[in-house]
Amino acid sequence: MVMPDTTRTNPSPPSEPEAPDFSNAIRLTGKEWIGVGIFTVALILGAAPLAERLEKFEVEPDYRMPYDLSNDYWLYERYSRLAASQYDTLIFGDSVVWGQYVTREQTLSHYLNEQAHEQRFANLGQDGAHPVALAGLLDHYAGGVTGKNVILQCNLLWLSSPKHDLQIEEEFHFNHPRLVPQFYPNIRCYKEDFSPRLGIAVEQRIPFLGWTTHLQQAYYDKTDIPTWTLDHPYDNPLQVLKQGLPPSDDTLRHNPISWTKRGIKKEDFPWVDPATSLQWRSFQRAVNLLQKRGNRVFVLVGPFNEHMLTDKSLNDYEKVKAAVTAWLHDRGVPYAAPPPLPSESYADASHPLSDGYELLARQLLELVSP
Amino acid sequence: MLFHTWVFLVFFAVVYPIYLVVRKYNRLMNLWLMIASYTFYFGWLWNPWYLLLLFGTSAIDYLMVLVMERSQKRKRLWLIIGLVSNFGFLGYFKYSGFITENLNILLGRLGSHWILPNPVAYANAALSLFGVPSSHFFSEVILPIGISFHTFQSMSYTIDAYRGNIQTERSFIRFLTFVSFFPQLVAGPIERASNLLPQLQSTPRITGEHITDGLSLFLVGFFKKVALADYLAKYVDQVYEAPGQFQTPALILATVAFAWQIYFDFSGYTDMARGIARVMGFRLMLNFNNPYAATGLGDFWSRWHISLSTWFKDYVYFPLGGNRNGTLATYRNMFLTMVISGIWHGASWTFVIWGVLHALGRIVTRDLERTRFYREQVPMFVKQILVFTFVTFTWIFFRAQSLADARLIVTRIFSSGWADPQIPLLMVTLVLAVWAYQLLYTNALTTRRILELAPVRVGLMILMITYLMIVAQPSTKAFIYFQF
Repeated sequence: MVMPDTTRTNPSPPSEPEAPDFSNAIRLTGKEWIGVGIFTVALILGAAPLAERLEKFEVEPDYRMPYDLSNDYWLYERYSRLAASQYDTLIFGDSVVWGQYVTREQTLSHYLNEQAHEQRFANLGQDGAHPVALAGLLDHYAGGVTGKNVILQCNLLWLSSPKHDLQIEEEFHFNHPRLVPQFYPNIRCYKEDFSPRLGIAVEQRIPFLGWTTHLQQAYYDKTDIPTWTLDHPYDNPLQVLKQGLPPSDDTLRHNPISWTKRGIKKEDFPWVDPATSLQWRSFQRAVNLLQKRGNRVFVLVGPFNEHMLTDKSLNDYEKVKAAVTAWLHDRGVPYAAPPPLPSESYADASHPLSDGYELLARQLLELVSP
Repeated sequence: MLFHTWVFLVFFAVVYPIYLVVRKYNRLMNLWLMIASYTFYFGWLWNPWYLLLLFGTSAIDYLMVLVMERSQKRKRLWLIIGLVSNFGFLGYFKYSGFITENLNILLGRLGSHWILPNPVAYANAALSLFGVPSSHFFSEVILPIGISFHTFQSMSYTIDAYRGNIQTERSFIRFLTFVSFFPQLVAGPIERASNLLPQLQSTPRITGEHITDGLSLFLVGFFKKVALADYLAKYVDQVYEAPGQFQTPALILATVAFAWQIYFDFSGYTDMARGIARVMGFRLMLNFNNPYAATGLGDFWSRWHISLSTWFKDYVYFPLGGNRNGTLATYRNMFLTMVISGIWHGASWTFVIWGVLHALGRIVTRDLERTRFYREQVPMFVKQILVFTFVTFTWIFFRAQSLADARLIVTRIFSSGWADPQIPLLMVTLVLAVWAYQLLYTNALTTRRILELAPVRVGLMILMITYLMIVAQPSTKAFIYFQF
């Protein structure tokens, strides 16, 4: 133990201490800090663009984001920019657009391209992107989509209950919490602490932070590099980067059979009134955002599996649909609310099977053709 | 409110500019710092009871010193009242569960059917005396964060005032600020009134050097915590949570990793605390001085948690007699001091044993360290390795979740197989790099000069920042020492 402190104090502040004040030599002067500051700013501004040049990413026909990278928003931003430069029309929406029960060559965008006889439509569907998240995705990670034709899919399933509408009090771990507004409007079932919320809000605005998350998502098993090394103790973390990005997703996420064969019964959804719906308000925000950026927005309402609803629920659903289309009509937003697909063309409440997408594509092209 | 979180950044972004304005008006400055510190403390658990506790212990010490000054004849009595109240709070919140549990075991072995109630019953009984309905009773005794730190800081003021080593602080607000000063409130350094109070009595001078030094301290501490301690914790936790599933190499490496984890964690916190204080113009004491470069156990304790070891030396070891009453009494005093230091860390037998081991180690090596052979013949690096090995061995008892686990780990280290430990090479590389840096810094003036060159300092800072921004994942993992 050290010698005791026997100094008697006086009221004046202590002079510079003789005892060691630093236990290392890492003590920078003002000028050195300015140098480090410049380096840090350069790193924040330059690392992500540099990485983009080094990391090969090609958008081939019928490309869709790898399912495992659904939370890689930096890559999504990059994809949306590339797609905007290569395609005439971009289709935004949730897993219905992405194609949950089909391969990439059976999606809505694929059939639209096939029937249009040209590569015009790009699949920008994002698994689990409910309207609150979709609005965040478009706000923060689709800024490069300007002056384009946009088809925005409106899945009314997200208004099918207060829980889907994120209006319940108890904590609910919904999809894409990093895309939703962190502070306003308040999402009651989102119980994250203040500090992580602030961190997410910052990440949404600084591409560098999105890029570091991209590294984790794309190369390090969706975890941070230190945690990754626990499972790969003797691997070189830099070596993994040479693998490159995974190709377009061509997997079938689920068995492509109809909802009736799945044994799903008719349901009585407790629909939420669009006038009070958070999801609908967010969808409206998404439309406004895209329009503000000079895009020509076309809204696809559906394709919802109305066969799955009980009579009472169908009645309520019609009211919701009427309110939604009325708003679109009033705002002069072109839209289509095609009739439901045949019952056997649905895999569940909202996802079509391959033949359903094919039929929907035909209906859509007929509607939009002059 | 951890220093390395966004919420602290917001807190500091509010506190600091106002502090810069009000610091020229001493009363206002202390009031503002007190409000900020109490807000900071409240931000941990959002529990007003803990604020009340912090306020209560501070108020008692403040009052005791005031009455001590007015009634010199009874000053010993006021000191005792102050100490009893401090130890009473500390004992109730930190040790009552441990004491009750062990007494109940003892009573059971003695065949008694009498069982002591959960200590929370005493608090609830007190509440009922004031007519509080049972629906508002506490369900358990929760250890207030940092109680051992702020209680010891407050107590040191009372003892120093009793001894006449410091002048009585007249301003209640300033005294509250001294005890609750937010950079060091929850995990130290345990500041002495002789260092911090005079700084609170005048206008802190903030120079460019204070800002740059503060930033340097904070960044190094941030790196220690986020890049090193939290990373090491991942390996340590998986081994120490199921030691029976791991063999000798993993158990040894996890123990070595914990030795570094606790160092990086605790010294990282105090570096950040000192950095924050420094940019505000305050100078907090150095708490860790490369302890794993120590060449003896005495040397280790002059480098590890310096503010606590000097506290125990001044307020326990010396009052016991120090080394003034012969060898045997010296050893007894050293033993008692180390065991009490162990108990300070936590209410568990593992901490007691940790203290005992250090006491025995210190007693056995004290005379050896003084021999010419040890001082001049044994190479410095060998001494450093020996000290590190012993200290690391004792950490087993500090980290193990129970005495049974500690026994299992020690047994398995010497008796299990040699399976691949699966420790990440990146982790090993980082620790070896830091260790090499510390040895180069402490062992020779020539190598230290190299480390002091601008390109080396700036280069290391850039490496740390790059690593923090790209590789490390900021976490909200609490600091180990918060539990004490």
